[in-house]
Amino acid sequence: MKSVALYSIKGGVGKTAAAVNLSYLSASGTGQPTLVCDLDPQGASSFYFRIKASKKFTGEQFLKGSKKIYSNIKATDFENLDLLPSDFSYRNLDIDLSEEKKPLKKLRKNLEELSENYRYVFFDCAPNLTLLSESVFAASDLILVPVIPTTLSMRTYFQLTGFFEANNLDSSKIFAFFSMVEKKKTMHRDIIAEYAATKGFLSRMIPYSSDIEKMGIYRSPVPAVLPHSQSAVAYRELWQDLLKNL
Amino acid sequence: MPAAPEHNPCKTLYFQVHGLQPSWVLQEEICSPEFRLSPVSSKHERQVFYDTFDWHAFEKNVAVVKKKNAVSLISLDSGIETESEAFQGYPASFFSSDLPEGAFREQLSAVSQIRAFQKYCTLETFVRTYRIVDDNEKTIGYLISESLTVIDKSGRKPLTSLLSLLPLKGYQDETDAFRKLLSRHITLEVSMDFRDVFRSIMQSAGRQVQGYSSKIRLQLDPEAPVHESMRTLLIWALSIMKANEQGIRNNTDTEFLHDYRVAVRRTRSVMKLIKGVFDPDDCAPFLDGFRELGKKSNGLRDSDVYLLRQHTFFGFLPSFLKPGLEQFFAEMERSRKAAHRSFCRYLASESYGRFLHDWERFLRTGTLPDLEKAPKASLSTISVAGSSIRKAWKKVIRTGRLIGPEANDQELHQLRIECKKLRYLLEFFASLYPQKTIVPIIRQLKELQENLGSFVDYSVQIMFLHERLQTLRETGSNNLYPASIGGLVGVLHLKKEETRAHFTKTFRTFDQEKTRQMFRELLDNE
Repeated sequence: MKSVALYSIKGGVGKTAAAVNLSYLSASGTGQPTLVCDLDPQGASSFYFRIKASKKFTGEQFLKGSKKIYSNIKATDFENLDLLPSDFSYRNLDIDLSEEKKPLKKLRKNLEELSENYRYVFFDCAPNLTLLSESVFAASDLILVPVIPTTLSMRTYFQLTGFFEANNLDSSKIFAFFSMVEKKKTMHRDIIAEYAATKGFLSRMIPYSSDIEKMGIYRSPVPAVLPHSQSAVAYRELWQDLLKNL
Repeated sequence: MPAAPEHNPCKTLYFQVHGLQPSWVLQEEICSPEFRLSPVSSKHERQVFYDTFDWHAFEKNVAVVKKKNAVSLISLDSGIETESEAFQGYPASFFSSDLPEGAFREQLSAVSQIRAFQKYCTLETFVRTYRIVDDNEKTIGYLISESLTVIDKSGRKPLTSLLSLLPLKGYQDETDAFRKLLSRHITLEVSMDFRDVFRSIMQSAGRQVQGYSSKIRLQLDPEAPVHESMRTLLIWALSIMKANEQGIRNNTDTEFLHDYRVAVRRTRSVMKLIKGVFDPDDCAPFLDGFRELGKKSNGLRDSDVYLLRQHTFFGFLPSFLKPGLEQFFAEMERSRKAAHRSFCRYLASESYGRFLHDWERFLRTGTLPDLEKAPKASLSTISVAGSSIRKAWKKVIRTGRLIGPEANDQELHQLRIECKKLRYLLEFFASLYPQKTIVPIIRQLKELQENLGSFVDYSVQIMFLHERLQTLRETGSNNLYPASIGGLVGVLHLKKEETRAHFTKTFRTFDQEKTRQMFRELLDNE
């Protein structure tokens, strides 16, 4: 089982769109069972897949391990793609984790139990740096960071790599790609020119597109609805690049 | 049976629908704020169900179903298709090895490699599939409406209408809410699983699920006169012979003849082992007849055994010797054909028919024979079973202990025969004893028999190939052929010696205090 965390300290960078579209491409392209874990209390990826969390699901159950997790997994409308819905009790997941003896290892251990059923797992993380995000870092094979080519977005990227260094974490897991790229904006062009060669940056970019914004209306992954659109092609190329690094 | 989406691990629920509901009604009627039905597909489909003669697929909890261009395995527990493979036509029977290599063939081979999958039933289905959609336009499951018609020689028999509900993972509760909504519109008669559906399909096609097994499933009464119990068992063995005749004639697979021959050997063996139950003068001609019957089928069985090992034999030789082996197997194929023809002719002969008829009449005669000629006839089954098993067991131990460290062919051959006799008795009378005592004894014996069986098989094959080599010398065939046979003999000899070396250890495992204890436990409870 390989796991990818979609993560950014900053919100609104196209993190959920990437989680939804890449997981869809993983399931439909490789034909391998894929799971999306919606760890963002806002539940955007659950929303995109039209999935409501079951009322009983709490963060505490997530920590208890596989049996409880399994019973809460829901099939999406797409073959080989399941989702573990977000729930607002996730807000308290950090508090629960802090009560665990080995909080950083807990998530990874629970995930191992899923490895028989899923080949790829995607985490759609909340935009913050907490104990939960740290345990996601520990549990993931790859941390994928969408970066809008702006000063602020770059700054949060360096905050993340700085955090890894300060805490002796494995920063070679971190990969970034430019997201919501608008080539007509000078600032975007300049930042890309300056930082494209930064360690961990993938060469594929996801252009800004109304197709991606409209996901909220279709409530479906872009490649499923508009398989030949520019965005679908870009995500497909990004996924191929990721596969090489997994 | 429904074309369930593969990624679904949930169990399908089937409901028999009263009368034949036109399924388009569903869509119109089921309309609520929470759920909506959205049609996916509707199709007429022919489904042909296959299983082995001894219902191996059913025993392994799967149905083997041939649809338009593919054959599928469907779980009897969930009704969900677990594997499928492209496959053309609707053959009367096929083997797992007829399919291309891959996951499907592997799973089918795990059901049975040696037995043919026979066509058991043809269904015509009209299937409509709907998505069940919630108020978020999210699919929560599938509703499948089917009408089934059995097709056989006598024509078409409408079987039933079924509705099945297939929840998507994580949507059991929602699907259940939908079921409640549905039941307000339609009388859902019985909730079934796919196993129930399968049984009712087979029943309508005139097939009895698990109607055949070569294992003895009779329950004997320990206190009944042994004359009666023996007749019951022998009538059962006769029924096994008869049940397999058709398969032998049709050449469906090798196991029809195998089961047939085991029934013949069982019959002869217990008749000879348990003396004093029938009038020996009455028995003599039957015993002769059964010996003849065994002999008449020897050639066919021998060819079967070689042909079944074809693959293994080819693995024994380097590729440059393989052409010679091909020649050997081509000859084997020809001689099998001749043996099959001749045995089938015998099965169709009047003398065979008369023989079986007389035998059956003899077995159906319930009056006890003359006490002087058959002094044990009225004894209790359990007492005769116990004494015969004890005697046969002692014979095995005596014969085995006499075999020295060199263990010559003759000795091992003899021990194998004694073991077989003991095995037949244990199996015949197994129902008289507690499972937990008899099962481990049979298992122990089986281990010993496997060792001896391989040994004797190797000897017989070496002897046969030796003879073959001699005739080759006379006919002066090309070099490669005798070289291949020679190579084969070398390998078989090695294997035989390995088996011989194992014998002492295997026998010691059998002839130990634990086994003795088991036999005592078995026989002292008489």
